[in-house]
Amino acid sequence: MAQTSTEKIFTEFREHSVAEFFKKNQQMLGFSGKTRSLTTIVHEYVTNSLDACEEGGILPEIDIEIAEIDRDRYKVIAEDNGPGIPEKHIGKALGQMLAGTKFHRYAQQRGQQGIGASGCTMYSQITTGKPVKVISRYDTRRITCEVSIDLKSNSPLVLNTVKDEGEFGHGLTVEGEFADVKYDKSSFGVYEYVRRTALANPHLQITLHDPEGQAHAFPRSSDAIPPKPMIVQPHPMGISTNDLIDFAHRERECRRVSSFLQERFARFSAAKADEVKALCPDVDFDKKPSELQWVEAEAIIKAIHSEGVKWIAPATDSVKPIGKGQIEKSLTNILAPQFVVVSERAPKIYKGGIPFMVEAALAYGGGAGKKAAGDLMSSEVIRYANRAPLLFDNSGCAITEAVKAIDWKRYKLKNFDEEPLSVFVNISSVYVPYTSAGKQAISNDEEIVQEIKNAIMEAARDLQAYLSGIRRDHDRKERRKAILRYVSQLSHDLPDLAGKGKAGEIEKKLITLIETKYSSQIESEEGEEEAKKENGNGKNGKDEEDEGEE
Amino acid sequence: MKEKMERIVVIMSPKEITRAKTSASASDSGKGGAFVAGKLEKLGQDMLAQIEADSSPTFTTALRSKGNIVYDNGVGFIRLGDKVEERTFINVGQARKFMQTVAIASKCKKFLKEDAHTSIRGLYYQLKFSLGDTLDEELFSEQSESNPLVEDLEVALNVKREDLNLNTDRKGVVAGPMVLKDRFGGDETEIDCTKQGRSGWMIPSDVDNGMEFKSIDADYVLVVEKDAMWQRLNEDKFWRKENCILITPKGQASRGCRRLIRKLASRKLPVIVFTDCDAWGWYIYWAIKTGSMNLAYLGNDIATPEARFVGVTMRDIKDYDFLSQLTINAKEVDIKRAEEMLSYEWISCHKDWVEELKTVLKTKKKIEQDALQGPRLSFVGDYLREKIEKKKFLA
Repeated sequence: MAQTSTEKIFTEFREHSVAEFFKKNQQMLGFSGKTRSLTTIVHEYVTNSLDACEEGGILPEIDIEIAEIDRDRYKVIAEDNGPGIPEKHIGKALGQMLAGTKFHRYAQQRGQQGIGASGCTMYSQITTGKPVKVISRYDTRRITCEVSIDLKSNSPLVLNTVKDEGEFGHGLTVEGEFADVKYDKSSFGVYEYVRRTALANPHLQITLHDPEGQAHAFPRSSDAIPPKPMIVQPHPMGISTNDLIDFAHRERECRRVSSFLQERFARFSAAKADEVKALCPDVDFDKKPSELQWVEAEAIIKAIHSEGVKWIAPATDSVKPIGKGQIEKSLTNILAPQFVVVSERAPKIYKGGIPFMVEAALAYGGGAGKKAAGDLMSSEVIRYANRAPLLFDNSGCAITEAVKAIDWKRYKLKNFDEEPLSVFVNISSVYVPYTSAGKQAISNDEEIVQEIKNAIMEAARDLQAYLSGIRRDHDRKERRKAILRYVSQLSHDLPDLAGKGKAGEIEKKLITLIETKYSSQIESEEGEEEAKKENGNGKNGKDEEDEGEE
Repeated sequence: MKEKMERIVVIMSPKEITRAKTSASASDSGKGGAFVAGKLEKLGQDMLAQIEADSSPTFTTALRSKGNIVYDNGVGFIRLGDKVEERTFINVGQARKFMQTVAIASKCKKFLKEDAHTSIRGLYYQLKFSLGDTLDEELFSEQSESNPLVEDLEVALNVKREDLNLNTDRKGVVAGPMVLKDRFGGDETEIDCTKQGRSGWMIPSDVDNGMEFKSIDADYVLVVEKDAMWQRLNEDKFWRKENCILITPKGQASRGCRRLIRKLASRKLPVIVFTDCDAWGWYIYWAIKTGSMNLAYLGNDIATPEARFVGVTMRDIKDYDFLSQLTINAKEVDIKRAEEMLSYEWISCHKDWVEELKTVLKTKKKIEQDALQGPRLSFVGDYLREKIEKKKFLA
């Protein structure tokens, strides 16, 4: 990829001061414009909390409080129930740029730079001169301190540390004061960011306390914590010259370029290495990887991409989507639409080497869409990359382009802009091709645009069916199906339990019951489900008595 | 633990519900594997009969949510109320859970038949499989799904999970004049709790099935919060000198530990509890005495309303001069807990406790049991001996 990634620029600047660099280039990292800066701050904290909770296997609960202190000056408090940060790591986590553990990992994650929370610390420092206040609770400890950054040396300054012993549970609270920021309800604002984050993270419970003192709570709709991201080997077709240099110079184990290529990249067999070697006679494949020169890397990349070399496609299991059921739950939970449909597509590959997956959902009616003038609703497109909402740079994004390219009239939507419709698109990949370092738009790669289009159209076909009035039939069938899918397992277990009866006969009998005697009851069950859920199981979760049973 | 007590809402049940009545309806615990397997089988046969009669298979279980948890003044512990809930298969909202519950029941029956034990995590893994090639769904995909259903079964069948051969983690240690017979894994072992040396006998998850008291020759049971204190008293041979059974739950008491205490109390042994004088210590005591919200469905099996509290108390400061030097400042959580406790009717009716808690609120101090080793290490034994002899309990 020829793009100038933040990572590359940072690598070059590391010897000077990353912090100084940041100060002069804040707009690259989302600190441009008052509204956007505030959204970026909240984004960084929320992302960190979500990642920490997932790492720790905790169902995240996040509280964001924003208070207006003065014109364009706000206090932000972000509190989570994550594992907290051990005392000795607090400085590094919040007061040193590029210190994150994620920076050099090749895995699918929301934040991929490790610049987040420290970036906020710095922003606070350069706009208000204040440190951020941190409370970290873990084990039986509570650490309260203030963190700032020494801009010259990019090292953390931790002051006024207070330690308490006791039962404080676990979690992290960060409180900072920021100037040159603004809270508003526009589609670029914090409220919209939080709402969209909740939509893509059904396991998240998040509450926003806005400067007017109003609390907006987005309850959790699923108890399933997303699986931890997988660390994968990059596929040769997916890397740029810059990436190759970067990997090679960090290599500590392999002594030769040829073994490095085979060890560190997927599908790079010995036979492939020979093919590539033959194509670059000027490159010494026995030299140390750390001594690889740019021209040599360029030649290798060129050889990798040459037509004669055929690569086996990468494995696609590194891609972790949100999941059809999960998206359905959260859209239903937060938008309460009349109809919701989610596409179900397999992962695809772009540029021959990078697996990705598109999930598209359409929510229609109810709370879907956004409010327009008066009582009217209009459609909205909500974009995500690896579950992180993309609020800015709307026009340059592959998702926007795909939505525009669809002939919505074919799907019974007369005027796309004026429909009560939310179009939800999430792209999951270890390597999301953003258009710029701000990471707010996905590049217009043709393969990607086409796949997004296909996913949306797949969902749109069901929406069309619904809008055509087929809804009731569809619904009945679905409801019956929801029960029928469990008949086989139940019929298998019942004879074992009862010590008599035959699975086949039980199954037949149950199916008949569901399709005849109970069919009208099943159709009218609406609403009852919710009530059951409420009083079903008193409480979940761990407590003292059950400790250690997990 | 902070939230735990807070959530206990004071719901006094009518006094006419006596222990006799609840215990008549409660617990078929400890009646052995064959008996419980029979109950499971009956559950399945009832479902078959319902299907045969053209009805949706159904079973009934007591509601375990907050609205159905009461502190029963008549029996002196927290238990489930009378609200029941019907679980049925042919219902969009319940089909999956119903099918899952039957799968758990069937699996537990198998464990009982094989006389094999596992944990609820082990159970979950036994049932974590795909529902079939055509369905993109697992029988269980999260343990948080199976845990509450195990509780459903416990309540529906009136047994404890230990009776279903599902173990919990062991916690708690015993020493003293008590001999048990442990039939396990085909062997029968005799456990003499006077001969367990410095480590004591570790209380297993299940103290009902395959466990039998052979002889108990003690005058009372002493429960001490901390392991360190237990080790002190064990080294001093306190249990031999005082002829008592010495137990430490090592903090909050596990299910097995609470059950053992309950069983000893049922054999007419007085139960005396010794904890720190702070929020955590009080909670440990009250959980032993009245049970807890989370285990309300086991109230009858694990609560020991007869338990008495020997210390440490604020009054001790008056009786033992050196203690005034050894108090520490109460934390916010201690103060908050003391205030809450005063608002619980079942605590505020004990006038000693009211006085005790008010003293804590006034002085904002707390005392750890370890402080009683101040004058000399074995002083704690003298302290307990004196207080127990003079029956100086917090009433």
